[in-house]
Amino acid sequence: MAPNKKASVEKTQTTKPAKPKSVKNKPEKIKATTSKRQPVKPQAAQQTTARDYVRFPLARRIEHLIMLVSFTTLGLTGLPQKFPTSDISIFIARLFGSVEILRAVHHAAATVMMFGAGYHILLAGYQLFVERSRLSMLPGFQDAKDALQALMYNLGIKKSRPQMGRYTFEEKVEYWAFVWGAVIMGLTGFMLWNPITTSRILPAEFIPAAKAAHGAEAVLAVLAIVLWHFYGVHLKSFNKSMWTGKLSEQDMLHEHPLELADIKAGLAQRPLDPALKRKRERIYFPIAGVLAAAMLFGIYGFVRGEETSIKTIPPLVGDESVYVPQTPTPLPTSTPIAASSNDPANLTWDGAIAPVIQEKCSMCHGQAAIGGLDMSTYENLLKGGGNGPAFIAGDSANSKLVQLMEKDIHPGKVTPEELARIVDWIDQGAQEK
Amino acid sequence: MNKKIPIRVRLILLTIPLVLGLGLLTAALAGLSGSASAAPASQTPMSNDTCLTCHSQPNTSKQLGGETLLLTVEKEMFDLSVHGNQGVACVQCHTDIASFPHPDYSVGSKREMQLALYGATRQACIDCHQEQSANALNGVHQQALEAGNTNAAICADCHDPHYQAPLEEQPRSASLETCARCHSTIYETYTQSIHGAALIDENNPDVPTCVDCHGAHGIQNPRAAEFRNTTPQLCATCHTDAAIMDKYGLSTAVLSTYVADFHGTTVTLFEAIHPDQPTDKPVCTDCHGVHGIRSVDDPQYGIGMKENLQAVCERCHPGASADFPNAWMGHYIPSPDRYPVVYFVDLFYKILIPLVLGGMAGFVISDFTRRLIERRKGGMH
Repeated sequence: MAPNKKASVEKTQTTKPAKPKSVKNKPEKIKATTSKRQPVKPQAAQQTTARDYVRFPLARRIEHLIMLVSFTTLGLTGLPQKFPTSDISIFIARLFGSVEILRAVHHAAATVMMFGAGYHILLAGYQLFVERSRLSMLPGFQDAKDALQALMYNLGIKKSRPQMGRYTFEEKVEYWAFVWGAVIMGLTGFMLWNPITTSRILPAEFIPAAKAAHGAEAVLAVLAIVLWHFYGVHLKSFNKSMWTGKLSEQDMLHEHPLELADIKAGLAQRPLDPALKRKRERIYFPIAGVLAAAMLFGIYGFVRGEETSIKTIPPLVGDESVYVPQTPTPLPTSTPIAASSNDPANLTWDGAIAPVIQEKCSMCHGQAAIGGLDMSTYENLLKGGGNGPAFIAGDSANSKLVQLMEKDIHPGKVTPEELARIVDWIDQGAQEK
Repeated sequence: MNKKIPIRVRLILLTIPLVLGLGLLTAALAGLSGSASAAPASQTPMSNDTCLTCHSQPNTSKQLGGETLLLTVEKEMFDLSVHGNQGVACVQCHTDIASFPHPDYSVGSKREMQLALYGATRQACIDCHQEQSANALNGVHQQALEAGNTNAAICADCHDPHYQAPLEEQPRSASLETCARCHSTIYETYTQSIHGAALIDENNPDVPTCVDCHGAHGIQNPRAAEFRNTTPQLCATCHTDAAIMDKYGLSTAVLSTYVADFHGTTVTLFEAIHPDQPTDKPVCTDCHGVHGIRSVDDPQYGIGMKENLQAVCERCHPGASADFPNAWMGHYIPSPDRYPVVYFVDLFYKILIPLVLGGMAGFVISDFTRRLIERRKGGMH
C-alpha cells in the first residue's frame, strides 16, 4: 500500500488501483460498502484504535485565521459606515480615531481578504489539477436530500439524521455563501473604492447600486456567520478542528461518518505517483505563477489605481474680501450745511465773519449763551460774556476770541483759514457792515 | 463734690460740641452734595435736557482728522426710539460724561471716536442687555476687534443707540440692510439667491436672513471648520420641516439621503468625533453655494442640470466623466422610475435577507430543540 495511507485497518477487498483518470467536475464514485449509505454500526468502529484524524492541515488553518480576522475587521469597520448616526457607530469610529482611519483599516482588511481569496484559488487549483482530489465541497442533489432529512429528523418526522461525508450540507452552505459573498463584496467594493473608473465602464447609477448591495450583503454575511456558523461550530458542539486541525474518532463518527468509513476502507486518499505529481506540478506551478502575478497586479490596481478625489477642497468663499463697506457709509453723519458762499474779501461781520461764527460757535454761544457769551449778533459779540468782550477792534493779538481759538482747548474750533480771516477782520477794525 | 458749675461755664461747654457737631454735619453735607454732582446716576440722573441744550442744535459736529462726526441728537426721534420710550437718560449710557467740557478721548478719526465711545459705554449695554452682550463678546466681530481690526462691528454699528426703533416694528429685511453696510458684496450675492429674492420681493417669512443662519450676536466664524461641519444640521432646520417645505414642493428627505450616502456618512461621523477639525468631504454649501443659492432648476446655475453638477463634482474629482454626477441620486429615494437599478438591488436584498436568515434560523432552532430533547431522553442519535 502507499505510504501515505491514513487508516490502520486494511480491508481485504481492495478496489480498483489508482489510475490517472481525469477528474473533471464530477466526484469519483465510491465503490465501497458505504456507497449504499448504510448506517455504520458503532461496534465496528470500536474494533479500531480510537484516534484522531487530520481534518485541516496547518496551511488551511492559517488561511481560516486570516479570513476570520479580516472578516471581523471588515464587519466592525463597515458597521459605522452603514449606520453612521447610531451611537455604537460613533463609538467604534472614535475607537479607531476618526472615520478616515476607520475607512483605511476597512480597505486594508479588504486587501488582506483579497490575498486570502487569491491564495485559496491557487490552492484549489493545485488540488484540482495536481492532486486531483475529490471535489468534496461541491454541492449536489444529495446535499439537498441530506438537508431535508436533517430537518425532518429535527421535527421528529424521520428517525435518524443523515450520514454525511467530509463536508456536511451545513458546511457547504457556509462555504458557498462565503464565496458568493466574497465575489459580491469584492466587485461592489471595487466600484465603491474606484468610482471614477467604474463610471467609465458602467452607467454611474451602478455606483449607488453597488453601495446598496455592499451594505446589504455585509448585513447578510455577518448575520449568517453569527446565526449559522457560530451555531454549527461553537454552540451545537464546540468544534476545535479549525484550531487543532484534528477530529477525534467520536467526532468523525458523529459528524462525518461516511468520510470515516472511506478512510477506514482505504479509499479516502488516493496515492499519487511522485513522478506524476512532479509532472503535473511542472505544468501547474508556472500557470499558478502567472495567475498569482495577475492577481497581485489586479489587487494593486484595485487599491492604488484611482485617485478618486483631491484632498483639500478649495474654499468657496475664498480671498474675496468680507469687509466691503457700502460707500458713502450710511452711518449717522451728515455734512453740515455748506457755508454760504461769501466773498472772503468782504471782511465785515455781515459778509465773511458772521457765517463762520454762526456755523462754528452758535451751538453753544447762540441761544445757550454758555458762559454768558452770545455770539449771534454783532452787538452781543461786542458785549462779550463773563470774561469780558470777545475782541478788541484793531488788536487781534489781545482779543480773547483769537487767543482762545489759537489755544485749541476750546470745544468749538475754527479752521486755520477761518481764524486768519477773523484775525484780519479784527485787525482791520472789526467792521459790522 | 458739692460744687456747682456756674451756668456760664455750662453754656460754653455745651456750645463746643454743638459747634463741632454742626461743623461736621455741614462738612458731611457738603461732601455729599459734591459727590452728587459728580455722579448723578446714583441719585437722579442729569436730565436729558441739559445735554440737549447743545446736542439738539442742528449741525452740531466735530472735526476728526478730516472727517465730520455729527453730534446732533434729534429729541423727537430719540423719544420714539426703544431707549427713549423707556426713558433712558443720556448719562445712563454715557456714564463718563457729567459736565462740560466732556472727557477728551484724544482720537484722530471718526472710527476711533466710535471705538472710544464703545469702550466708555459698553458696560451700559452689558448691564441691560446681558444675554446679547455675552454672546457678542464671544462672537467673531469681537474676536476681530481684539485682533486689531477696527472695522469690526460694535454694538452701535448695528443698533443706532439713539434712534433704534423697536425690533417688532421692523421688517425681516432690516437685518439684511444692517449687515450690508459692511458686507455689501455678500448682500449683493444674497439678493440674487432664491432665499434673498423671496425675502426682498415678497417678504417671505420662510427664508433665512443673515441672522437666521449666522446668529445676531454670538456669530461663529463662518470660515472655521466647526461652522462648516454643522452646516447640514443648520440647513436641515428648515429643509426637513414639512410645514415649510410642503409649501414649495421641496423634499424633506434631503438630510437623510445625504447622510445615507458617502459624503454625508463621512461628515456625520467626522463631526461627531472631531467637530472642530476640517474635513474634505462636501457639505450642503459646497454643492449648492453659500450665499448665492439658486433653485436646482435654475437654468443657469441650478445643479439639477447635469452640466452644472459635473462642474461642481469636478472641483474635487478632476477627470470625472459627464456621466459621473449620476452616481449621486440627487437626494431622491430610489424608485422604479428613478434610479431603478438601486431600487431593485434594495428590493432583492429585502427579500433575500429575510429568506436566508429566516431559513437558517428555522433550521437552527429545530436542530437545537431536537438536540435538547435528545439530551433529555439521554439517547444517542
